[in-house]
This record gives sequence, structure tokens and C-alpha cells, in this order.
Amino acid sequence: MLPKRQLKWAGVAAAASTLLLTGCSQQELNGYMPVPSGEPVTNHTSSIVGLWVTSWIVLLAVGIISWGLMAWALIVYRRRKGETGLPAQLRYNMPIETLFTVVPFIITVGFFAFTAKTMTAIEQPNHADRIVQVIGKQWSWDFNYTNENTYDSGVQYQDGANAKTEATLPTLYLEKDVPVEIDLTSRDVIHSFWVVDFLYKKDMFPGRVNRIYFTPTRSGTYMGKCAELCGEFHSAMLFNLKVVDKAAYEAHIAALKAAGNVGQLGYDLNRMSTLPGKNAINN
Amino acid sequence: MATATATASASSVIAKRKTKGRILVDWLTTTDHKKIGYLYLITSFSYFIVGGIMALIIRAQLALPGLSVVATHEQYNQLFTMHGTIMLLMFATPLFAAFANILMPVQIGAPDVAFPRLNAIAYWFYFFGSFAAVSGYFTPQGAAGFGWFAYQPLANTTYTPGIGGDLWVFGLALSGFGTIMGGVNFITTILTMRAPGMTMFRLPIFTWNTLVTSILIIMCFPPLAAALFAMGADRRFGAHLFDPANGGPMLWQHLFWFFGHPEVYILALPFFGIISEILPVFSRKPIFGYKTLVYATIAIAALSMTVWAHHMYVTGDVLLPFFALTTMLIAVPTGVKVFNWIGTLWRGSITFETPMLFSLGFLTTFIFGGLTGVILASPALDYSLSDSYFVVAHFHYVIFGTVVFAMFAGIFFWYPKMTGKMLNEKLGKIQFWLLFIGFHTTFLLQHWLGVMGMPRRYYSYLASDGFGNLNMISTIGSMILALSMIPFFWNVYITAKKGQKVTVNDPWGYGRSLEWATASPFPRHNFTSIPRVRSESPAFDLNHPEFAAPEAKAESKKG
Amino acid sequence: MKTNAKLFLLLTAFYLVDAIAYALYGYYANGKVEIIGTAAIGMLVFLAGFIYFYINKTANHTGVLPEDRLDANIEDGDAEIGFFSPWSWWPLALGFFASIVFASLAVGWWLTFVSVPLALVAVIGLVFEYSRGQHAH
Repeated sequence: MLPKRQLKWAGVAAAASTLLLTGCSQQELNGYMPVPSGEPVTNHTSSIVGLWVTSWIVLLAVGIISWGLMAWALIVYRRRKGETGLPAQLRYNMPIETLFTVVPFIITVGFFAFTAKTMTAIEQPNHADRIVQVIGKQWSWDFNYTNENTYDSGVQYQDGANAKTEATLPTLYLEKDVPVEIDLTSRDVIHSFWVVDFLYKKDMFPGRVNRIYFTPTRSGTYMGKCAELCGEFHSAMLFNLKVVDKAAYEAHIAALKAAGNVGQLGYDLNRMSTLPGKNAINN
Repeated sequence: MATATATASASSVIAKRKTKGRILVDWLTTTDHKKIGYLYLITSFSYFIVGGIMALIIRAQLALPGLSVVATHEQYNQLFTMHGTIMLLMFATPLFAAFANILMPVQIGAPDVAFPRLNAIAYWFYFFGSFAAVSGYFTPQGAAGFGWFAYQPLANTTYTPGIGGDLWVFGLALSGFGTIMGGVNFITTILTMRAPGMTMFRLPIFTWNTLVTSILIIMCFPPLAAALFAMGADRRFGAHLFDPANGGPMLWQHLFWFFGHPEVYILALPFFGIISEILPVFSRKPIFGYKTLVYATIAIAALSMTVWAHHMYVTGDVLLPFFALTTMLIAVPTGVKVFNWIGTLWRGSITFETPMLFSLGFLTTFIFGGLTGVILASPALDYSLSDSYFVVAHFHYVIFGTVVFAMFAGIFFWYPKMTGKMLNEKLGKIQFWLLFIGFHTTFLLQHWLGVMGMPRRYYSYLASDGFGNLNMISTIGSMILALSMIPFFWNVYITAKKGQKVTVNDPWGYGRSLEWATASPFPRHNFTSIPRVRSESPAFDLNHPEFAAPEAKAESKKG
Repeated sequence: MKTNAKLFLLLTAFYLVDAIAYALYGYYANGKVEIIGTAAIGMLVFLAGFIYFYINKTANHTGVLPEDRLDANIEDGDAEIGFFSPWSWWPLALGFFASIVFASLAVGWWLTFVSVPLALVAVIGLVFEYSRGQHAH
């Protein structure tokens, strides 16, 4: 058991940090990650936010120690007015050097272990029945709802006369609490599928299919952006993602079919289709 | 006839009148490593200003949502592409060549580098190659606009036609060859031209870092050259090396980042070396943990070739755990270096001249950049942060924090050696505080912007995104940063006009390495006499014998 | 010299281990070796190994040099270090013409026909600078 004095200090530290944390808003407790209130947005977001917050606490501790030592040295060991002579010309101290090699190594390996756990869970295929194909193009999105054999398509955000405001951006509909697999590819250059609140993105490559696996667990409308430079209107390649209940989802599918969007927007629409290996998609 | 030639040779012994033409010829034909270093310094600093102006325009465009300061999206893409290219390959990398050229031969007690004409060739390759790459701006379709990493297939002619992209490719290829030649030159010099007694473990840390950086250069620039030629073949000669059907985009990314990651360590390590020279002088004690610093630097270099795919976590086709592990491991030797620097300050006798201020500014900034790097090393966290302003903030903290702060630290520190005059301290302090405040105001808040979901390389953003306030503050910060250059230029000007000439070898008083044992400014062949080398601080041992290293003291006792 | 040889040996060994680990890991994780990264790291093994081999050979040949002795004095070194070119026009010429050659890859073949001979002249001039005229031997 630790001596009484050290226990007392540990108690003070614990009390102080609890007090400090109660003063933190929900936003601060999530480390300023975009986490909307209510349920977690997908089945992965809580583990990501947890890893984020823990990592920052450890890293800020390391930072405070480093800056603190620096500040201490600069204040305490500054050369006073009228001081002459030189300090002891210490060149090395093996115990300390070993310490500050081994301790960061342990922290690093620990961080790696936690990260490996989280990222393996995120990348694990979920064998979902519902598969949506999202195909990126310069400079918007095609959504193929493979199970319902319908599709939706968009054009880039534009200002001015043909304004396509946030409300009229192409919108991908997903059903709440239904595991989904999203297959990503591109018709031309590399794009990236990023839904900010999902805390996740994946690139979309021409000639390849990337897959992401998750279950949306919170209803709402989420902003989506292209996150890989894809040409002139990269910043206009925006979309919405709506997570809705079963009824609203089926209503949307019915509306798409009624509008005549029956079938799938296939790879025959890809550009560079006259080149050798034109529509080859490597899985 | 004989008399005429005799008179001619007699008059050539008397110094020729230094006309402007003669001075120009002297600079154009120089093979003196110091002059070549000054050429690199001036050219790279000019590119720093050009790239900086581009950054100011970018920041002006982003100050508020929906602005059109930059007329078209395509021009904006060209702006950030060239800003990145210029800053990384035309400012920071040649700046390493500048400092290495000016200092390294003097620090090892050599009269010049191993291959003086190759040294000059390397500079002219850089000069003309960079000009070629930037000359895209003089073409109708403008400069390259596909991002400084030139991802395929965006960067091929189907999606980015225009000669600007071709000039970018071939200009960088030439400049890259110049860098490789410089690297070969530095390695050879350090291996073969050290003064007697200057063993490898008595080299100044800056020289060690120059050696390791040069090894990194010869390891990673050839793949860049190869990738650029392949890209050039695709663009100009109908090749399909990077065709999407052949997995081309991923091939390009692997090749580019195999170069791109060691490149950032090439940018960082020499400036770590500069800091390792300055901190001991103004703490009045030796660098702490010399051997572990050297081993850490070698570890960083070795590991840095194995982490490249952490720039590709979101591509879905890389071995995530392998690269996550190596990337996190690289934080360990970097941390060792940081603690060694703090150990140098510890129990020292510290004064705060301008070079020291800039070094401390570097240390403060770099620590934070390193922390955000550890966050990005984790794929789970990188998924949300990749390609956002969090990454922009991270790399500006590490690169600007290292390169720019250490550059000014080095310029102020070695100015008497280069020119024979000291820069003005007061102006230097004003510059430092403006730079420090301006830099942090610009880039600290960008971490929040990235976390909130602002992507990088976006021309503008929606008002509903809520990024407006932070961007406005960031833009104001960039203006303060720009203002900090004014005291610097004024300082250089008035020092040239009426600065007092330095008469001593060691104006700072506590210089440690060999350059402080020779005249200020440097003599033509560096030394008229070299002191005995018995430690990593030979000039200090000479000037402060009571506090000299143990081996040096033992020797002088013997007689 | 020996220290330098050890440095490159360390790099060779490290990259060899890394290349094998990367290849095996890729194979077991994804069923195929990630060929680009493996090849790249494999090339590093050869680069570092080749440099190690050469420096090691040189170190054995030259023995312990004054710069590697802890107790050497400055006068122990050779008085004459070598010939250092005092100034030269050829680097500028080569730099300029090489840039035209590279630009011609971007601009068009016609420029290549003009610039390559000029660059060749510059290379030859550079190489033979100290073997002709005053320096002929």
C-alpha cells in the first residue's frame, strides 16, 4: 500500500480532475469531435470517440510534462545579471536517457494495441444484406440501391441562378439500425466518401471497389463531402446522408421508382472507357 | 611581347577592381561551398516569400464563406498545388542544402566539399529546374493544379491537360537530380574529409544530421525521379503506367509517398541539427545525450523509409497495422531528441538572444505538432481526420515550426560567420514575437476546423458549416505572420548599411564547433589554422580550457 | 571509416528484416504480397548493402586514418588534401542546358534536338575541364 501522504495526494488529484470534468460541456467531453446528441451515430462512433479522448488525455499529459520541464528550465536556470562562470558541463545521464526512451516506447505500444483493436472492428465485414453502391464522379454522386434496383444521381453544389442549396443536394437514404455495406468506386478520378458525423471516410478509386461496413443507429440528416482532390469543383462535391425509419425509407425508394429511376447506373457510364481494360473493376 | 605578358601577370597579382560584372561572374562561376550555400539561401528564401504570398491569397479566399477573392476554382487549385510544391521542394529542401553547404565543411575542418563543381551543378539544377516547374504560370492554362502529390489519374492529361503539369513534372525531376547530387557530395565529404582527430562521434550534431539527411536523400529521391518520369511518360508519350485498369492510382501513391514521407524527415532533421547547435551555446553546456541523439537520428531515418503508407490509410488497400506500428514507433526516437534538448537546457545558464528565442519557439511548436502526429498515426482516428484541416494544421506545426523557426535561428546565429556582422537583436526579437503569435493564431485553430469537418483543398465552404469565425481568425493570423517579415528585411538592410563589423572568431562567446575557431566572415578556404580536436566542442575547449571536455583537458595537462 | 561501414550495415540489416516482415505480413493478411512496398524496401537493402560493401572494402584497405584516431593532431593529416576547382563556367552551362533538355520533354521533340547536343557539350566540357588547355598532361 502506498504511504498515507501519497494516497492523500492521489485523492486530491482524483477529486480535482472530477471537479474539472464536471465543468466540461458535453462537447468538451467528446474532445470536440462532432458527436450529435442522442444515440451514437453508428455502431463504430463511440469506440472512435473513446479512443480519441483517451489518446488526447495521454498526449496532453506528455505535452504538459515536456512544456512544463522546458518552462521550469527557462525560468530556474536562466543566467542571472552579473553571473559569471559556467554550469557543470554534463554530457549524458544514462538512467534518465533510458527512462525517456523506454517509457514512450511502452506508451506507444499501448496506443498501438488499442488502435489495432478499434480499427480491426471497424474494418470487419458485417455480411450485411443491404448493399448500397456509391459511385463518385466529377463532381457529384450516384447512389445505386442494389437491393431495390433503383438509383439516385446528383450534380455538384452551385451558387447563383442554378443554385443547388444544401437542401437539394443528392441525398443517400439509409435505414436506421439496419446493417449496411456501402461499395465505393469512381467513374473517373479518385474521390473520397466522407460523412463527418460518422467519423469515417474511405477513398473511391477508379478501377477498384472499396467497401465499408456499419450500422447507422441514429436518425438524422448528415453532411457528406468529397475528401480527395478531384479537380475543379472538388469543393462543390457535397451530399447529404439521411438515416430514417423503415416507413420513410420505403417511401423514398417508392418515390425514386415512381420518378423512373429503375435499374442501376452501371460501369458503362465510366469515363476513359476507350482505354485498354476499360471497364475492368478489380475487386 | 615578353614585357607585355610580364606586366600583365604583375597587374593580375594586384587585386582587380571589383566591378559589378566581375562580381556577377564570380557568383555565376563559383565552386566555393560557402558561396554556393549563400546562393541556395537567397534562392530558397525568395521561394519562401513567393510561396508565402500564395498562402496569403489562399487565406484571404477562405476568410469568409462563399468568397471569390480567387477568380476561379481552377486558379485556386493551382495556388495550393504550387504553394505546396514551392514550400517543400523549392524552399525547405534547398534550404537544407544551403545550411549544409555553408557549415558542414567548416564544422569538420575541411577546406571545401569533396566535389566542388558537382556542388555548383546541383545548385544550378535546382535553380533552373524549379524555374521550369513554376514557369507553368506563364502558360495560358496556368501551372499544375492537381495537388503537390499529383494523385493519378487526376494528374494525367485526360483530367488535367495543359503544359503546366508537364513542366511541373520535368522541372521537379531535374531539381530532384540536383538534390541527389548534393546528398552524394555531403556524404562523401563527411566520410573522407574530416580533420585529424575529428572522429565520427566527435562530429557536431548538425553534421551528423546532415549525413543522415543525405543518406535519406539518396534513398528516397531516386524513386521520386522514377515516378516523375513514369508520370511524364503517361502525360507526354502515351504510356499507361498509371492507368486505373492496371491499379495505377495505388502504384503512384505508393511510389510518391515512399518518397514523400522520408522527404519530410529530410526537411526536419537538418533543422533539428541547427537547434542542437544553438541550444548548447546559449545554455553554456554541451548538448545532452550526444550518443543517444545520434542513435535516435539514425533510428528516425531508418524507420522513416518504412512508414509511408500512413498517408494512405483511407485508400482501403494498405496494411494498416504494419504502418500504424512503424509510424507510432517513430515517435519514440523523436521524443528522445526532444528530451535531450530539454536536458541541454536543464541546469544550464540560459540567456535569450534571438537565435535562442527562435530555437525555443521551435521546441514549443514542434512538441505540439508531434502530439497531433501521434493522433494521426492511428488509422481509427485518421479515418475522420485525413484530408481535413487537422492534417494541414499538423504538418504546418511540424514543418513550419521546424524549418522556419530553425531557419531564422540559424540565420541570426551564423550571420557573423557569413557576413562578418551581427543582425540587430531588438529587431530580431520583434520579428520573433510577431512570427510566433502570427503562426499560432493561423494554425492552432485549424485543428478544430479539421475536427469539425472542414476538408482541405476546398475553394470555399458553406455558411451553414459554421467554419467562418475560425477561418477569419486564421486569416488574421496569417497577416500577422506576413508582417513579421518586415522587421527581418529591415534588419538585413540596416545591418548591411551600417552594421558593426565583428572582429572576433566567436562573437556569441560560447560557440562549440569548429566554425567558431576561424575568422568572421569565413576565410576563402575556411581555416588558416585548425585547433586540436579532442571532443565534439573543439572551439569551446580552445576558448574555455577550464571547462573543456575531459579528453581535451587530459591532453593539455600532458603538454 | 569502420564506423561508417557499421552504419550502412545497420541500415542493410534493418531493411532486410523489414522487407521480409512486410512481405510475410502482406501475404498472411491479404493473401498476396504487397509488391510495390516490398520491392521498394528490397531496393533499399541493395542500396545500403552496396554502399556498406564498398566502404568496408575501403576501410580495410586504408586502415585507421588520422581522422578516426582519438589522439590525432592536425599536423598528422596530409598537408595536401587534393585539388579543388577554384571556379568554373561549366556547372552553370550544364545546369542551363540540362534544364532545356528536361523542359523539351514537356514542350516538344524539336527542342530536344537542339538542347541535347548543347548539354552533351557541357558535360564533356565539364569532365575534361582540368585535362585540357593549361591543365593538359
